[in-house]
Amino acid sequence: MKNRLRELRAARRWSQADLADRCQVSRQAINAIETERYDPSLPLAFTIADVFGLTIEEIFRPDRAGTTGTEA
Amino acid sequence: MMEGTAYFRRMAKQVRQDQVTRAARRAVLIDGIPVSALGVIALALGSNPDQSATQKAWWIATTTAFSLAVAWVLLRAFRRADEYLRRVQLESMAVAFAAVLVALQVATLLDAAGIVALHQLAQLILVGGLAIWLTIADLRTRFHR
Repeated sequence: MKNRLRELRAARRWSQADLADRCQVSRQAINAIETERYDPSLPLAFTIADVFGLTIEEIFRPDRAGTTGTEA
Repeated sequence: MMEGTAYFRRMAKQVRQDQVTRAARRAVLIDGIPVSALGVIALALGSNPDQSATQKAWWIATTTAFSLAVAWVLLRAFRRADEYLRRVQLESMAVAFAAVLVALQVATLLDAAGIVALHQLAQLILVGGLAIWLTIADLRTRFHR
């Protein structure tokens, strides 16, 4: 799953630890999500979206290389 | 020059904010050190082949207390961890479990061949498995930054 976490965090000048504190998870978790080594659970994805004031779809998108999907 | 200062400031901030992770690691150590000591005591108590009934009772009691303490440390670590760290812990435990299974199998074969006594190795293997689990979990959280 691709995400815009690093970009959104940089725009707000937040460190990974700042974001981790806001989401109440460890900095390692934020780092793992940012580097796409770990896909967050749905509750955590909602929390992250809330923290940025965006929807989940605006932050995360599926990694569907070479597939058509449902998008028009 | 400005970039260098910004870099060091960022690094200092990073180190300062890692206090949360350090606090969690310290908590595991605080829990783990007395439990490990209990494990060593249980191992020492069980190492004498000619035990009296009292010594045997102490050995069994210490080993039971050690097993319960390990479960307690595990529970506390899981409650403290977030979903990512929980996954890291579970994966490390899976590797340690596999290592314990293989070691037990080898020890059983060696016991059957009359080379070593299985009962002398059983606790060492379990403590070794614990060490593998803690080491892998620590290294994974330490290097994936």
